[in-house]
Amino acid sequence: MLAASKYAPVVLLFVIALAIPVLMIGIATIVGPRRLGVKKKVPFECGTEPIGDTRKRFSVRFFLVALLFIVFDVEAVFIFPWAVLFRQLGLFGFIEMAVFLFILILGLVYVWKKGALEWE
Amino acid sequence: MANVESLRYFLPELLLTALVLAVFLVDLGLKRKKVPIATLMVVGLLVSLYAVLKTPGAEGVTLFLGMVSLDPFSVFFKVIFIVTAVLVTLFSMESDEVEEKNFGEYMGFIAATTLGAVLLASSNHMLMAFLTLELVSVPCYVLAGYISRSRRSSEASLKYVIFGAASSGLMVYGISLLFGVTGSLSFEGIRDALSAGNPGEIIVLISLIFILAGLGYKIAVFPFHMWCPDVYEGAPTPITAFLSVGPKAAGFAVLVRMLHVAFSSSDGAAAYLTDISSVDWPFLVAIISAATMTIGNLLAINQSNIKRLLAYSSIAHAGYLLMGVVALSQLGTQALLFYFVVYLLMNLGAFLVVLNFRSQTRSEQIGDYTGLAWRSPIGAFVAVSMAIFLFSLTGIPPFGGFIGKVYLFASIIQGERFIWLAIVAIANSVISLYYYARIIKVMFLRGIDAEDLGGFVSSPTTITLLTILAVGTAVSGIFWGPIARWVSHSASLFFG
Repeated sequence: MLAASKYAPVVLLFVIALAIPVLMIGIATIVGPRRLGVKKKVPFECGTEPIGDTRKRFSVRFFLVALLFIVFDVEAVFIFPWAVLFRQLGLFGFIEMAVFLFILILGLVYVWKKGALEWE
Repeated sequence: MANVESLRYFLPELLLTALVLAVFLVDLGLKRKKVPIATLMVVGLLVSLYAVLKTPGAEGVTLFLGMVSLDPFSVFFKVIFIVTAVLVTLFSMESDEVEEKNFGEYMGFIAATTLGAVLLASSNHMLMAFLTLELVSVPCYVLAGYISRSRRSSEASLKYVIFGAASSGLMVYGISLLFGVTGSLSFEGIRDALSAGNPGEIIVLISLIFILAGLGYKIAVFPFHMWCPDVYEGAPTPITAFLSVGPKAAGFAVLVRMLHVAFSSSDGAAAYLTDISSVDWPFLVAIISAATMTIGNLLAINQSNIKRLLAYSSIAHAGYLLMGVVALSQLGTQALLFYFVVYLLMNLGAFLVVLNFRSQTRSEQIGDYTGLAWRSPIGAFVAVSMAIFLFSLTGIPPFGGFIGKVYLFASIIQGERFIWLAIVAIANSVISLYYYARIIKVMFLRGIDAEDLGGFVSSPTTITLLTILAVGTAVSGIFWGPIARWVSHSASLFFG
């Protein structure tokens, strides 16, 4: 491994980065006293006591809206630079953008017809 | 070639794109969908197949500023993908697992996967390869979960997505490392940089391993094969058939092109390539190949579900196919392409029998195949076809699988470096005979007086397709000259 010496600093960095947390947690576990109790498990100076689980279920419709949003957001991202350079791009640019928009509009028609835009 | 001029050579892909859009749109207007949409699919695919064969410049041009390459090799794989898609469309008509309500979307995703595969086989640039790999993967994730309200199908889809996301992440990381040391993403650019000087073996090795992880997942080789049995079992049967041939062939196409163009050069004899990176990747691939076929065959022995068994068998076949990559010679690439022609016939045939049996009996258990040959005349026909496909998968003459294996073994032995791999492969063929023959035994030698199980029927379409595939499997083992000429023309690109 001739090239190995080139990577020695990287390996050293890995070793140090691993050693520091291992040492800190390790020493604390070995040296520190352990007295578990009810009082120790309550939230400490962090505001109110938690109620319920943070993992709430919410409607799958939000994902659909997010997906549709991304599609049309990306469309806007493509259209802005094209609009700025419209004159330089000429007819070819116009046709390209027309093809792109045509495909996107087909997509819009599809989701509309399938009822993906209705909340209920 | 610049973008606008390239369009002239890009007609098949444009037709496939139009087909994807058309299938989605036709789906909107119809109530009874299956027949019109399947007709549209078959017609559209055949038109683009015609366009593939008639496109000028098939002797080798690069399109879109070097992103896509049009050559005999990519034309070969385009034909394979489109034929597979046509057959899977017909299979889907025979299957009751896909609801009519979703049929348009389902077919649209098959067309989109085919488009991705066609582009993947011709991509000549790392970014194009990655993008089209995703275009192949994403519709497949959806297709694997297409049986609505089926836990197994959803599980299959989720497993496929999670494994897929992890391995494509690794692949992109590998590509970025390779770009860092070679300064190029096109396959030729990487080759020039690698042959100009040694950019550091560790970096090249790491990036190659990461890229192999992404592609190895797509073709389901050890150690990236774990998703395969679960996905194959849970997915609708036509989709299992599709996954085992289409995306796998696409993964192999880009693997061969990448390794042969970017990581090797033909400065020696015309029929051989030499490895130009400082990494001994043929050895690495040889190890993967041996491990894949051994794991696949050993785990297949104990399966009771026929789809799982065929999943392990397809893992083992990925191992055999990798031998053609290891050989790094014209004969090796020819053997790989030849095997794909035969593999398409026999593997799709075996899945068609599974599909037919499932629609008759609602069962995928091997035990339920007991006495299939004696139940009814059609049962006997189906059992005989299945026996042909299974014998061919084992590699027993006079079927196509035998000739395919002979070519693969010959390429390894001709290369002389990896004789041990040929020995491992022969041992594996013997193991595979055990579990393939177990199905044949159950169908023919058990339950000879099993008529009380009820008659077994198939639709005329199934019978026609089975006849075509079985005859194809048998004929390709006896009269293989035309296929051999076609593949040697397709494989000659990287050599000389």
